[in-house]
Amino acid sequence: MAATTTTLRWRVMAASAALRVALVAYGEWQDAHLEVRYTDVDYLVFSDAAASVAAGGSPFARATYRYSPLLAFLLLPNSLLHPAWGKLIFSAADLLVGLFIDTILRLRGVPEKTRIWSVVAWLFNPFTFTIGTRGNCEPIVCAAVLWVLICLMKGQVLQAAFWYGLIVHFRIYPIIYAVPFVIVLGKNYAGPAGRPILTQWSSKQQLQSDKTSENVEEPTSLLASLWIFLSSLITRNTILFGLFSGSMFFGWTGVFFYLYGWDFLNEALLYHLTRTDPRHNFSIYFYHIYLHHQQGFSSIQKLASFLPQLMVQLALILRFSRDLPFCLFLQTVAFVAFNKVMTAQYFVWFFCLLPLILPWTRMKLRWKGLACMLVWMGSQLHWLMWAYLLEFKGRNVFVQLWVAGLVFLAANTFVMIMVIRHHKYTQLFSVSTKSRSKVAAKKE
Amino acid sequence: MAVRIRPCLLAVAFFAAAWVSGASSVPQQVLFNSCSEKVDNSQKSFNCMPCSRTYVADAYLDALTGQLAQHRDLTEVPETADLCKGLDDDLDVPVLSEVHRQLVGEGSHRRLVYSVKFGNCEDDAVKFLDGYAANLVIIEKLPSGVFADPFELQHFVERKVFLDVAVFGDTNLELPSALSNRSAVEIHFDFKPSTTMDCNLVVELPLHARYPPLDSSGYATVEFGSPDLLLHYRKKDTHPDSCIWVSKNLDAEPVDKAVWRVPCGNGAHAGFVSSLTFISALVCSMSVVLAASLIS
Repeated sequence: MAATTTTLRWRVMAASAALRVALVAYGEWQDAHLEVRYTDVDYLVFSDAAASVAAGGSPFARATYRYSPLLAFLLLPNSLLHPAWGKLIFSAADLLVGLFIDTILRLRGVPEKTRIWSVVAWLFNPFTFTIGTRGNCEPIVCAAVLWVLICLMKGQVLQAAFWYGLIVHFRIYPIIYAVPFVIVLGKNYAGPAGRPILTQWSSKQQLQSDKTSENVEEPTSLLASLWIFLSSLITRNTILFGLFSGSMFFGWTGVFFYLYGWDFLNEALLYHLTRTDPRHNFSIYFYHIYLHHQQGFSSIQKLASFLPQLMVQLALILRFSRDLPFCLFLQTVAFVAFNKVMTAQYFVWFFCLLPLILPWTRMKLRWKGLACMLVWMGSQLHWLMWAYLLEFKGRNVFVQLWVAGLVFLAANTFVMIMVIRHHKYTQLFSVSTKSRSKVAAKKE
Repeated sequence: MAVRIRPCLLAVAFFAAAWVSGASSVPQQVLFNSCSEKVDNSQKSFNCMPCSRTYVADAYLDALTGQLAQHRDLTEVPETADLCKGLDDDLDVPVLSEVHRQLVGEGSHRRLVYSVKFGNCEDDAVKFLDGYAANLVIIEKLPSGVFADPFELQHFVERKVFLDVAVFGDTNLELPSALSNRSAVEIHFDFKPSTTMDCNLVVELPLHARYPPLDSSGYATVEFGSPDLLLHYRKKDTHPDSCIWVSKNLDAEPVDKAVWRVPCGNGAHAGFVSSLTFISALVCSMSVVLAASLIS
């Protein structure tokens, strides 16, 4: 039985690899023969930047290159070997994400059949296999985030910090995971043997048992519970993680600032933090930004657009951080939905975390799961229709397009609420039995 | 049709004068008309320049933006007379007889299609192309609100649709027009050498609209000015140092007007759009916070 499921897993991996190679090959053909390119414009930007580095220059000589120089270095073989090298690397990272999803679920004791469906939800998701084969670098970021998760699950704090610092330098958005990581590395992280104990998956409802282990003492006041909470965060692991990942981030930033100066800082870092793009995109803020682009933005406006995002992130972290994959997933969906700019490639950021929560959801595909998918995709298609009329037919449909953006935000909110209500909240790291018995003795 | 070529020191002097005085209203034709010869109905002007000078549109752009030009190598050419020497006085240069320009397409991405007809197309032109390497040069000074993607145009050069192309000025692809400056495109289109020369050339230039400034009407109108068409050629065999640029005067038969209507935002919407945006964000975020808090 085990042999057949193992071969099934390898068949799934082989099929997805073949699909991606075929798409890369098809992309090369379409680029050469048709007017509309298969390859994403971003890939051409990376390739040009890499060619500039190969010639001894700066990657930022290429206009609109807004990434870490590491990406240009990674794509150097584009000009030395073959232009499709980058796409193959990204597709390989894509497959790696599938492998990591399998690893994470296996470590948590999810049965093989459920695991394979979860992995398929990533590997054969049309959003994801087109992203890597079109030349988008997001699969690398997803693979790194999942690897950080695996390292944390195995108790390898330093390695987790290394990759986390590196990936935040590469793509800033994973910084939103910093607080949940620190919370999870707090007092109850490591078991008696020094390694964390992972809560195993169970097909039964397990809502209550995990909650009781948390309440050691009755808190006397809000201040006291806040103090207990904060003091639980100061452990050897959290300090190590914080210091090492911080050093990695500033180290890499420092190296590239030394090499490329303010060009690097402005394009790769500051641009993303201060970006106000008036061009139409899924975000609800685009029309507001366009209507005000000639007069600038007041501090109140900037704060007002940041507040909903902050509130949602805080609420999700405080409520769900112990169920780490679930927290990361919801945080990413919320971050993308409430951001000032939203493009289709950002969706991959939470698609890679979705398979990690599927085994813990009470939502069946029929009909609630399907309803979520249809609402989400339907509102997206609705937006795309208005965007097509604006950009390719030249009709003034700004208001309709903006309303479609509001509808898409509502759809994202709906999906988030549905996922929250149907999720079996399970802590990632369980408190060890030794400390549980200590607690029981104390109570007596 | 025989066309005389004269040494054009005057043209050089005009260039220098125009740049030094920073005259932004210098009509483009002045840069080339100084040594004009009246031959049949279309006036033509000539200039001889060292072949190292690949583009001429940068001079136009400085006139557009009214900026003082940087020192160009053109002003340093001392003996233009010598450059033009040695070229046959009776030279049958193909004459551009008809030029049509049309803006084709819908939406924010369209194409300017130039249709150029040559007058003395038959044996004369073929004889000319035997001895001279020639190409058609189109200089389009893009109005504010429209831009050309240099990377896209480079792709055209790689696919050998154009011989060469250059974009001068603001090549930013992302900013709205209120935060951008104008640009100019120079296209070099090769005359395909063949025994039966194509008398009707069609050149397509892909363009993109920027986000226009706000207007209550909901649409911004972008009007294209007159393009400049030149013939650029040099003698094939001897690899001379001089290249000839012959421009066609389009005043007599101006090119068809090209107008682009781009949808733009309405400032009157700012109030309700901003408030509804922030309210929606708040409502959605509170819903998520509530759902997270109420879950048991």
